[in-house]
Amino acid sequence: MQDLLLQPTSLIFFIQKGDKHMNKLLEILNEINPEIDYETETRLIDDALLDSFSILSLIPELEDAFDISITPADMIPVNFNSANAIWSMINRLKED
Amino acid sequence: MTYTSILYLSIFLPGVMLLYQLAPGRHRYKVLLAASWLFFLSLSGKLIVYLLISTASVHHIGLWLSSCKKELDLTGASAEEKKSLKAACALKRRRILWLGLGIQLGMLVVLKYSGFFSDNINHLLKAVSYPNQLPAMKFALPIGISFYTLQAVSYLADVYYEKIPADDHLGRLALYLTFFPILMEGPICRYSQTANALTEGKPLEYKNVTYGLQRILWGLFKKLIIADRLNLLVETVFGSYKQYGGIVVILSALLYTFQLYADFSGCIDMTIGTGEVFGITIPENFRQPFFSKSPSEFWRRWHITLGTWLKDYVFYPISLTAPIKKFGKNSRAKLGKHVGQVVASAPALFGVWICNGFWHGTGWHYLFFGMYYFVLILLENLSEPYVIKAAESLRINRNNVFYRIFQSVKLLIIVFTGELFFRAETMTAGLSMFQSIFTGFDTKALTDGSLLQLGLSLPDYAAVFLGFLAVLTVGIIHERGISIRDKISGYKIPVRWTLYYGAILLVIVLGAYGDGYLPAKLIYAGF
Repeated sequence: MQDLLLQPTSLIFFIQKGDKHMNKLLEILNEINPEIDYETETRLIDDALLDSFSILSLIPELEDAFDISITPADMIPVNFNSANAIWSMINRLKED
Repeated sequence: MTYTSILYLSIFLPGVMLLYQLAPGRHRYKVLLAASWLFFLSLSGKLIVYLLISTASVHHIGLWLSSCKKELDLTGASAEEKKSLKAACALKRRRILWLGLGIQLGMLVVLKYSGFFSDNINHLLKAVSYPNQLPAMKFALPIGISFYTLQAVSYLADVYYEKIPADDHLGRLALYLTFFPILMEGPICRYSQTANALTEGKPLEYKNVTYGLQRILWGLFKKLIIADRLNLLVETVFGSYKQYGGIVVILSALLYTFQLYADFSGCIDMTIGTGEVFGITIPENFRQPFFSKSPSEFWRRWHITLGTWLKDYVFYPISLTAPIKKFGKNSRAKLGKHVGQVVASAPALFGVWICNGFWHGTGWHYLFFGMYYFVLILLENLSEPYVIKAAESLRINRNNVFYRIFQSVKLLIIVFTGELFFRAETMTAGLSMFQSIFTGFDTKALTDGSLLQLGLSLPDYAAVFLGFLAVLTVGIIHERGISIRDKISGYKIPVRWTLYYGAILLVIVLGAYGDGYLPAKLIYAGF
């Protein structure tokens, strides 16, 4: 079960998928690049599916949609490698 | 004393290894720190005072940044009060950070750039016939200031952004900034990469020592056989550039690029090898850069630690400022997704390349070098989708070997041209040399013996060519993900030692030192 939760296509992801905020995130991501399957992709940065231009376009959209502030410290691949990772970062920044 | 000197290789390094091994584990970092300061003193003497100021201020300001956050007490505060307390804390921390950056960068700017600025202001004053001039401001530069300052800045920024905790261990921080193998030419390490390993005090291990010494030997091969030999030709042509043109200038730009690579990557091999000897992993700075297909890929493989430093501490901070984010949104709305995205990144990219140019030195030709890559990378990104479309409509397979060769040749021309300006004594010299390629083009130089009048004899060219083949072969093997040292360690002892002795002999016999060779400094140690 623990292994399952660590998988990118885990239950957590599908539970969150129904969430309207998560849908909003997927909508923003699809606008940046509609050719990527964000539900399964876990190497968005490592495999250069999203380049630095896309990430820089994504930042203001995320900040406006979720009322967060992203700093240079958050600009690390692990925060942007999957929709789940971005979602975790958003939640963490919301708590700050 | 430098990394290639007999004193360093036969006394200093073995001496430090011996003392390190003899010292108790918890005191071993003190041996490394004392050796690092001794090394610094041997190169820069009393200028160590700047290093000590840097170290003390980084230590103090890091702790101040941390305590400021710890002292924030939100218990019992209302939501409104919490918000205002957090804002006050953030403002105070930002001011402390700026103070820290001001001290570090202030020292670098005053010591390294005041001469450049005063000279240019004086030119300007003369041009407008103003009677007074500023006094000439030239300061002696402490060794490694351009490298340890960037490490200090990254430490302060990382503490500020809470990526790492502030370090209360002054010795560890001092060693992180000045560990002797990284002092002269980097690579630019992050605190999270090396600091803990530096104070761990691991004993010397057979595998680490042999792997480390192999890497040092490979660095010496590149530096002594290739770089220092090519130095003769490069000094001759660039020092009297007016006498040369056409093919000689093309050859000198090509060979200077190879010299720079052999010199800098050779030094980094020695640095990483020395780190390995003590069980410390130092980040790689090169990844077969000449196998790149574009200028941006080249810079992801060449001087990697400077590129990532500029990305993290210049590109992102500029990109994430409110005016630039607003500019980005407007650009995307007005110019469309692709062009808008590239244009939006231009201000931050400009910041990166102006810093890259100026970091290397104070001449206008360094600034030109930075701007050259700024324009090329911007154009590369702008044109990318159009190039793909054009290739598709012309039915050109972009993975085809001929297309790859075309990309490589194009990149090499770009790199050689950039390095021509980079190495030129001044911007005027660079322009004159570039112009002379076309005005003085003549293939006679290839056959009339001119190439043997540039400081290199036929055996020298042969040694360089042999070195080039060795570097190329190793590059191809590494590009395929094969570790040569793992392969060597799998051989039987007699084969292994024959290889080691053969390599040592090669460096001794073919190394460019002694009569007839110029004493060649480490190029990047001058930046």
